[in-house]
Amino acid sequence: MNKRLIKSKLLYNYLCDPSALVGSFILVVFIFATLFAPLIAPQNPYDLKKVSLEHFLKPPLWMKGGEPPFLLGTDDQGRGIFSTILYGCRTSLTVGFGVLIIAGTFGITMGLLAGYYGGHLDSVIMRLADTFFSFSTTLMALLMLGLFKQRSVLVVIIAICIADWVRYARTMRGSVLEVKEEVYIMAAKATGAQDFRLLLRHLLPNAIPPIFVVMAVDLAVVIMLEATLSFLGVGVPLTEPSLGMMISIGKDYIYAGMWWLVVFPGAALVLLVVGINLFADWLREELNPKIQR
Amino acid sequence: MKRISILLFLGIFIGTLLILTGQAIGASSIVVAVDTPPRTMNPHGSDADANLSIMANFFEGLLQRKAPEGNLFPALAVRYEHPDLLTWKLYLRKGVRFHNGNPFTAKDVKFSFERLSNPDVSEFINTGKSIASIDIVDDYTVVIKTKDPIPWFANNLHQIYMMDKESTDARDPGEVEVKPIGTGAYKLVEWVKGSYVKMVANEDYWEGPPPIKNVELMPITESSTRFAALVSGQAELVSGVPVELYEKVLQNPKLEVITRPARRSIFLALGNKPGSPMEDIRVRKAMYMAINEDEIIEKIMRGHAAPAAQIPDPPTIGYNPEIERLSYNPEMARKLLKEAGYTKGFEITLSGPNDRYVQDEKIAEAVARYLAKVGIKVSLDVKPKSIFFPQVARGELEFYLIGWFDGTFDMGRTYFKLAHTRGEGFGELNGTNYSDPSIDTLLGPTGSIVDREKRKTVLQDLNKMAMVDKIVWIPLHYQQDIYAIQKGKGIKFQPRPDRWMVFKEISK
Amino acid sequence: MVTYITRRLIQGVVVLLAVSFICFIIFRYSGDPVVSLAGRYATFQEREMVRKAFGLDRPFYIQYTRFIANAAQGNFGKSFVSRVPAFGLIMERFPATVELATSAVFIAFVLGVVLGVLVSLKPYALRNRFIMAGSLFNISIPTFLTGILLIMVFAVYLGVLPPFGRGETVTIGFWRTGLLTWSGITHLILPAFTLGMYQLAVLLRLTRAGMREVLTEEYIKTAWSKGLPPRKVIFKHALRNALIPVVTMTGLQFGELIAFSIVTETIFQWPGMGNLLLISIYEADQPVIVTYIMLAALIILSLNIIVDVLYAYLNPKIRYE
Repeated sequence: MNKRLIKSKLLYNYLCDPSALVGSFILVVFIFATLFAPLIAPQNPYDLKKVSLEHFLKPPLWMKGGEPPFLLGTDDQGRGIFSTILYGCRTSLTVGFGVLIIAGTFGITMGLLAGYYGGHLDSVIMRLADTFFSFSTTLMALLMLGLFKQRSVLVVIIAICIADWVRYARTMRGSVLEVKEEVYIMAAKATGAQDFRLLLRHLLPNAIPPIFVVMAVDLAVVIMLEATLSFLGVGVPLTEPSLGMMISIGKDYIYAGMWWLVVFPGAALVLLVVGINLFADWLREELNPKIQR
Repeated sequence: MKRISILLFLGIFIGTLLILTGQAIGASSIVVAVDTPPRTMNPHGSDADANLSIMANFFEGLLQRKAPEGNLFPALAVRYEHPDLLTWKLYLRKGVRFHNGNPFTAKDVKFSFERLSNPDVSEFINTGKSIASIDIVDDYTVVIKTKDPIPWFANNLHQIYMMDKESTDARDPGEVEVKPIGTGAYKLVEWVKGSYVKMVANEDYWEGPPPIKNVELMPITESSTRFAALVSGQAELVSGVPVELYEKVLQNPKLEVITRPARRSIFLALGNKPGSPMEDIRVRKAMYMAINEDEIIEKIMRGHAAPAAQIPDPPTIGYNPEIERLSYNPEMARKLLKEAGYTKGFEITLSGPNDRYVQDEKIAEAVARYLAKVGIKVSLDVKPKSIFFPQVARGELEFYLIGWFDGTFDMGRTYFKLAHTRGEGFGELNGTNYSDPSIDTLLGPTGSIVDREKRKTVLQDLNKMAMVDKIVWIPLHYQQDIYAIQKGKGIKFQPRPDRWMVFKEISK
Repeated sequence: MVTYITRRLIQGVVVLLAVSFICFIIFRYSGDPVVSLAGRYATFQEREMVRKAFGLDRPFYIQYTRFIANAAQGNFGKSFVSRVPAFGLIMERFPATVELATSAVFIAFVLGVVLGVLVSLKPYALRNRFIMAGSLFNISIPTFLTGILLIMVFAVYLGVLPPFGRGETVTIGFWRTGLLTWSGITHLILPAFTLGMYQLAVLLRLTRAGMREVLTEEYIKTAWSKGLPPRKVIFKHALRNALIPVVTMTGLQFGELIAFSIVTETIFQWPGMGNLLLISIYEADQPVIVTYIMLAALIILSLNIIVDVLYAYLNPKIRYE
């Protein structure tokens, strides 16, 4: 089929599917917001000089006690919720994509090799996976902290990656095992294709669709995992809260009636994850040859 | 007719009886929620206050401290003498029995103290090692000699619990950790780890059986869940109400709040390494003045703290009422920094725990911000105490937040551990390696001063010099302990300064 | 197949050794239990004495070898915090965690699969869109928040369910169960839902995805055209194949839940193993941490072996040499 025709078909399908459009729209908004956060946000909540306890725990603007310019109220350190959400998205997404890229690349490679070559390599890789999977991320986070002595985004990313690559490896391997037996692979092999070429051009594209589901789920999982690490005190630094950290801080105030500390960051997180999932769902369906439209 | 009236009468009689016994049972049991679970039923196995508090119900020391002031009273010893610097003579109470029926005698005292030096079973290594000899004069008299003079030795006796030599020797060490046999007002019924501790009154207790017969102690570490337990009625007395929920509890008509100034003071330790900015007293003063402690108390502690100008609290020997806080004055702070040559400020790392003190990480964050506003770039380093405290012990930090209170009500030991230059036998918790020879020289001899009045004067002077002339530490505030009880159940509870929950002191 | 399983078991032992080795490397760099063990007022000398007494002054590989030698005889060391054997300490809490994890997985699997099948049949019906939206929402809330919200609604405002603990339990032999008392069951509801909600959403979406794929396959079309009753087509043919990834995921999740339900146990003060692990990490209680991680590895390994075998059974295309 003509390449140009394929591209236009993809585009056509994309424009016709409402969930894809909505999903990517949300994503674009978020990415835009995080890129231009310093311009949009009324204040930089990560800058210690600009934040002051004077404005602590103020409710949103439209409620009694609300104070401009804090549109959505403030938290217990005097940071504006709106500003912190914008900057927090950055941190959350950095952690999320950081893990995705590092753990994903490593895991996919491992899974590909294990599934294709089988035998001893497969056993070694899979047992390696089992080993690292047994370490709770909390323990890993604490170890990293002990090693680096200071909390930082990098420490959190590494800590999560250590156990996270396993799900990519396992899914990839399973997918490869299935695809490996397919006719066209056997055909390519029969025509004398080299292993490397085989892996990259034939195996990888056909085995990868399940990974997209994993990635979408994983992005959300990682962002949530980071929130849990914050809840336990071993997440990103306190002075640079992520969305998850904001929710963790806010949970103590739920009973006290200060709902805006949790609801707004929570809504932002949900929206972000929904956007990711909608887009990824569409992508998976597009790339899956088996589903008829 | 007659039959009916007899039945009616019986019915009313039985009904009343049931109601009365119901009341009696209700009145004599209590459900308490605390924030820390017990670690062990071995009274020497942990020197954490949370554990000692629970042990205080099963075990007793030679002396005891009572609510509300925490003053020392006789317990298993009726009196003591201190004939010379190294000797302590203790006269034991007669007629006391352990929960298993064994009589309490001098051999149990010797056994208990000797056990303290064994790291396999005890965390009171220092106390154990400081004892040179224990002599049994007779069944009810013991003479203890220490290696060096320890003026606060008796002040510590309320947390050194007496164990029964015979059963502790005979039992498996694992069982000793789980089933306590002491002389205390309560006996253990059941301990389901992570769930609850059930205790029942010791009817043969030497002070008389305690008013509440059954106690159920439930540890709930998550503060919002603890609050939920209180509000839903599952717990009748809760220790450790989080400051941000104080208002909510106050508003609730079914609950009553009880607060008490805590003994624990929160402060900042600041190193004085030669060549560093903090060596200059002007810089130290500037940092002190840059912090708006009133705002911290108002906004972060929600009013539940009292500003501190020093580390010991009023009842402690060495507390000097003349010492005053430096007022919040950021302009002066900037001026002082400029004078010292730091117009552009400097960089420093502030460390601290995030799971130990009330609002610890939020206080650290606020401090970082105040310092940033006068030009000092603070890098915040808050982490779990299991990583933080070893760093303090190894002297690796330059600036950190910490809390402290000394169970002995004497400032001496505090200063030896915190202020003295690190060396053999000193400064083990001097986390910044703070070193000032003039303080060391003044501090040294206080170890041998036993006379209370003399101790008081010397320590007060030392305290004043340390806080005013040297600013060894930047004090912040004293915490406040907040408890809540269900109203209408007749619970009479007086909080103790050490936050212990000693149930024989509570009635319903 | 037998050789395969034997090989996996041997590899499993290697994994256990590797896992514990890594633990000892970890301990070298983070957390120092001696500061706590020697007491607040210990001198430097006394701390060193305590360090020696616990063998913590030796290099980590020597500590490791000693540990493995003892472990082979069943001695996993004594907890630094409560000074009782680490293994017993963990096993005491095993029933609580297993009951919680099983209930959560049960809820997640049953509801997830049922709803997943429902949704896959008529993906554009309004009701199903709601369910999908709900599942999306579920994946986006951190577990600790779910727990706190559930407590707030059901325990505090409505007052119908208890906010923490296990309730009344009955001990049968060494197993302490909460399933035999009404109080035990009501205490199980909120934590099980909290733990299971997330897995539910994941399984739901997996089932739906799998079903949608399978329903378009040739053999399904054949079955339809043969006139087989719809129920038979859906359940016997379609679901069986769609379930493969679902089963795999459930198996993996189950192991994870047993090993790491830390957050839920903390919020609900559930006296399980996850709770113990968290406390042990915070207190640098090394013997308990190593033993725990080894046990977690064992559980996950066993479940993986079971899942892999099941996988081969369900999908004849997979072969194991």
